[in-house]
Parts: sequence; C-alpha cells; structure tokens
Amino acid sequence: MFDQLSLLGAGLVNTFDPLNFSMILVGLVIGVLAGALPGITMLNAIVLVLPFTYLMGIVPSLLLMTSVYCGGVFGGSITGILFNIPGDPMNVPTTWEGYALNKKGFVSKALGMAIMCSAIGGFLSALVMTFVSPPFAKVALSFSSCEYFSVVFLGLVSVVVIGTRSIGSAFISLFIGMFLGTVGMDEIYGAVRFTFGSRIMETGINFTTVLIGLFAIGEVLDQLSVKNKGDGEIIRTRPKTTLPTFGEIWALRNTILRGLGIGTVIGAIPGTGATVASFVSYGVEKQVSKTPEKFGTGVWEGLAASETSINASTGGAMIPLLTLGIPGSGATAVMMGAFLLHGIQPGPLLFNKSPEAVYTIFVGMLVCNLIMILAGLITAKFFSELMRVPENILCAFIITFCLIGAFALRNDMADVWFMAIFGIVGYFMRRYDLPIPPMILGIILGPLAEKYFLTTMIGAGNDFTIFFTRPVSGCLMVTSIGLLLMPFLRGLGKKGKKAQA
Amino acid sequence: MSKTDAGEAQDVSPEPVWKSLVGPLLFVLLAGTFYVLAGKIDEPPGPEQLGAGFWPKMVLIFLMVSCGIKVGEIFMARGKREAEGTPAGPLPEVNTLKLAAMIAMVIAAVYFMDVIGFPLANFLFLLLFMRIAGLRKKLPLFLTSVLGTLFLLYLFVKIVYLPLPKGQWFFDDMTIFLYRVLHII
Repeated sequence: MFDQLSLLGAGLVNTFDPLNFSMILVGLVIGVLAGALPGITMLNAIVLVLPFTYLMGIVPSLLLMTSVYCGGVFGGSITGILFNIPGDPMNVPTTWEGYALNKKGFVSKALGMAIMCSAIGGFLSALVMTFVSPPFAKVALSFSSCEYFSVVFLGLVSVVVIGTRSIGSAFISLFIGMFLGTVGMDEIYGAVRFTFGSRIMETGINFTTVLIGLFAIGEVLDQLSVKNKGDGEIIRTRPKTTLPTFGEIWALRNTILRGLGIGTVIGAIPGTGATVASFVSYGVEKQVSKTPEKFGTGVWEGLAASETSINASTGGAMIPLLTLGIPGSGATAVMMGAFLLHGIQPGPLLFNKSPEAVYTIFVGMLVCNLIMILAGLITAKFFSELMRVPENILCAFIITFCLIGAFALRNDMADVWFMAIFGIVGYFMRRYDLPIPPMILGIILGPLAEKYFLTTMIGAGNDFTIFFTRPVSGCLMVTSIGLLLMPFLRGLGKKGKKAQA
Repeated sequence: MSKTDAGEAQDVSPEPVWKSLVGPLLFVLLAGTFYVLAGKIDEPPGPEQLGAGFWPKMVLIFLMVSCGIKVGEIFMARGKREAEGTPAGPLPEVNTLKLAAMIAMVIAAVYFMDVIGFPLANFLFLLLFMRIAGLRKKLPLFLTSVLGTLFLLYLFVKIVYLPLPKGQWFFDDMTIFLYRVLHII
C-alpha cells in the first residue's frame, strides 16, 4: 500500500511536468472537438495523433492519447444535446434525453450536467483502475464468448425501454437494424450475404453512415420541411453552460454510481466498450426509475446515467490493456501500438519494469478527467455560438459536414450514398413514428451478438442452455429476460389496479 | 374544452385501420422475401454448424413476429380510442415541394461530388440548399457558400489531410489547379 502511494506521488509529480501537462490539455481539446464533429470519431483522432508521439517519450505519448480518448468519448454529447446529432454511437442515449431537455429550455443545464457526469464517471473509474486493476482484469480474462453474448444481449434488451410509445414499432426498428448488420461478409463462415453481387456491399453497411444519416440528415429535413415555421428564422439564443450544483449532483448520486459501475465493468470487458455501456446504463436506469414513461422526454437520470457510464468505460478499458496487454477496443489497440512503438510490452511485467510510467498514466487520467470540465466548458461555448447562426445556413453546413464525415470513414463514395439514403429513410421514420434509436442499437450490437452467439454455439455443440448454465452468463441472461418482461408485467399490474378500483 | 378545440377535434378523423396496417404488412412481405434469400446463401454449413444463414433467418423471424405485435397494438389502440372517443392526433403539415427539393439537393450533392469534385459541388450545394431553405439575400448567400467551401477545404484537405473527391475528367485538373492557387497542396 505504501509503495502504491509513493508511486502515485511520483506519478503526480510527473503529470505536472510542463510537457506532460501540456499534452493532457492539447489531447483534451483535440478529443472533445473530434468527438463533437459527426463522422470524425474519437478513434480517428487517436490515430491522427499517433504519428506525433514518435518523437516523444512513452509517458507524454500515452498522456496525449488517453486525453484524446477521455475527451473524445465526451465530445459527441455536445452536438447531441445542441443539435440532436450524436458525434459517436456511444452518445446516442445522451442525445435522446439531452436534446429533449434542450427543447424544454434546459440546454445550459443539460450541457453542464453532461460535463460534470462525464468528469465524475471518468475520475472515479480512473480511481477504480488505479486500485483494483490486477484482480479486475483476471475476472474479465475468464470471460468467454458466452459471457460476451450475454452482455450484448443485455444491451439489445434495452430496446424495450427505448420503445416507450410502441413496443411493436421498437422491435420492428431493432430487427431491421440487426438485419442490416448482417449485410456483407459473414465473420464466422466467410459467406457473402444480401449483397446482390455488389462488391461495395461486401464490406457491409458501416453503422456510422447509418447513424449520421438517420440522425443528422433526417433531422435537418424534418426541421426545414415543416410548414408555418417561419422560413430562415434566426435562432437567437446562445446557451451558456451552467454547471449543476452539489445538491443537484447529490440528488443523482444513485444514478451516477450505477453508471459508474456499469461503465467500468463493461469497459473492462474486451470487445464491448463505451457504446454498450451507455445503452445498458440507460436501459437499467429506466427500469429502476419510478417514472420510466418519462424517459425520452428529457429526464436528468437518463442523461446522467449515459454520460457517467461512457466516461467510466475509459478507466475500465485501460485495465486489461495495462495489466494483461489485451486491448479491449479500437482506441486501446492504438494505445498498445504506441507502447510497442516505444519498445514496451504492456502486461503484468509493465508494473515491475516501468511502475513510474504506469502510475503517471493513472494520475494523468485522474487529472485529465478533472481538467475535462474546463475543456468541456470551452468547447461547449464554441459550439453554442453556432446556435446563433440562421437555421437555413446551419442546416446546409450540417449536411456538408455529414457528407465529408461519411466520406472520411473509408474514403469511399459508397458510404456517402448510404448516408444520404439513410438520411431520407430517417426522415420518413420520424414522419411515420418508427423509432430510430432501436435501429441504431440493432445495427451496432447485431453483428457483435451474431459473432459471440455463433462462436459459443460452435464451442458448445449448438447447446443453447450454455447461456444459462454458466454463472456470469446465466445471471446476465436472467436479468435481461427480467428487463424484457418488465413492461408486460407493469401493464398487467396497472390493469389489476384498475380492476380493483 | 372550448368550442374551437371541440371543433378541431371533430375535424380530425381517425386514420383507417387498413392504412396503419400497410407498414407492418410491407415489412412482413420484405422479411419473407429475405428469409427465402437467406436460405439460398451458398455456404453449406459444416457438420453440427448453424451456418451463415441461421442468424439472418432468426432475425427475420423475429421481425415478422414484431410486425404481428404491431398489428395487435394497432387494433388495441383503435379499440381504446373508440372507447375513450379520442381520435389520433394529426401529423404536422409539411411543405412537400420544399421537402422534395431538399431531398433532390442531397442526392445531387452526393452524385456531383464524385463527378465535378468536392469544391465546386459543395459551393453549388450550399448556394442552392440555403436558397431552398429560405435564405433570400444574394450577397450573404454567395459569400457564405464561397467562404464556407474555402474553410472546409483548408480544414479537411490542408490540416486533416483528407483527400476529398477531386472529380472526373476536366474537373480533376480544375480541382488540383484550385488547390495550387489556394496553396492547399
């Protein structure tokens, strides 16, 4: 314990070295900006800064990358709250509540709450990472495809809580999304599915193009096509970010703690990450809420749960990377590349060979999450300025950014076509009340669910009961089924009460 | 309820059931078609393997079941509305011509981005889209389109090194010439 504290002290001194500290600041600004721009993902930003780390030592390199990572996962929430355009798929649940709060006139508070919850989630998960890394990683390492499927299944089940108005519509949207996820080359058997001979379709439909199209283009078309709205109306409001008071945060303590737990645990499981964490956390929060029917209309608990879990997953994701040398996500894989570039192999030996470097990264992440409040306020102010731009100009530029964002994914015009088509589909989905979020959930989690399901089946000789006989998987599956049945049971309960009355 | 409110409520007649059923039935038809196609995926599974067609087939079955749930919901909601005497609310009125023009602009922007290159296609898109969206003053319209395109070129081509489409034939040379003039490359 004493050794650990002295190493933390050394890490603290190293973190405030001018070069290291400036890397944290630069990384946070780059990360938040990249996360906020649709189509430019946090992962793109980490890859973009990788070449700049060649000339640096390992500590400033990793501090730069972890700051981009922490800032990037938060950044997408800003545009989600302001314009209903999530920067990354993980920011989708934040967008549901954040944009609804914006419409209600709570935009300043929503931005502030998102910043604070992100910072709290990231800071506390970094603390967890510092003290419980080794035992935590051992548990995650024991997970097989069976447990991974159960985690993803839990994420998919959250559709029940997304589809508030019509469970049928929510399920239709979810399964269309899951079906779209099957287009292209199958990962397990290598078979080509539903491509109709098109080579472009073989790589599948990139979910980011669907996300940008459905949310951004659909929203723009919806906003501008409504009659009697006043063409070219100038949006004069310029929201200021208002940080929540201690009392407001304290009132959400249970939500934040649940988000922290879910984010850290799911983040530590390789292959899942912030997107699954935010959907699961939002779903769980709605199920435990006394007013679940209000979710989607601007509920602080929904926003706080999603934001806390997104940033909590960053600390969790670093655990298997640092202690076992296993990158659990694209972002940590690039970070592992940075380790290897500097001739260092992450894993248990890292704690013996370069303890100071490891603890500097730990402290760096703690500091980074505190400074993120400042970076978030600055970036939110910059994006808030855009609210003063006339709607017709803003919408034209949103479409342009979407076109560039879709093209930037793979430098392929096919992605831009997909984005445009899904934009038009998104408009009609809004018009005919088919919810968009379940489709996004299906297209993101569907392929993961398929991969883990089929891998498990190959290993278990097609015995479906394996999902219930393994302890962790069994608990998760029972929880998922419970969540799935809860709306029906609630409905029955209400009917019973009405009959009694 | 005021007289006006009551009058408005009476004007809104509930949507006929067959109209609400079109969507779910269309999805059932599509799901059925793709189910047949999934059966033809030419990758025979090995012994004791589920095969590449298993997962899409399962998803499509669940999609059809969901359509059944939706149909049930439609009938239940109708019964409830009839019992309570409240018709479904109308959708907000849409400027169909404007919507069609905006959709056409988005499709044209994607098509021409590849043919005439990003700079020219984006300038024309911004100009026309903002006009359709209601910006009528000519100078701001022109300046926003030109300066916006220049800003995007510097940001994405010069700073982020993103090779935006240069166009085909003559337009390829023209885009490169423009980049040289602007010191982007």
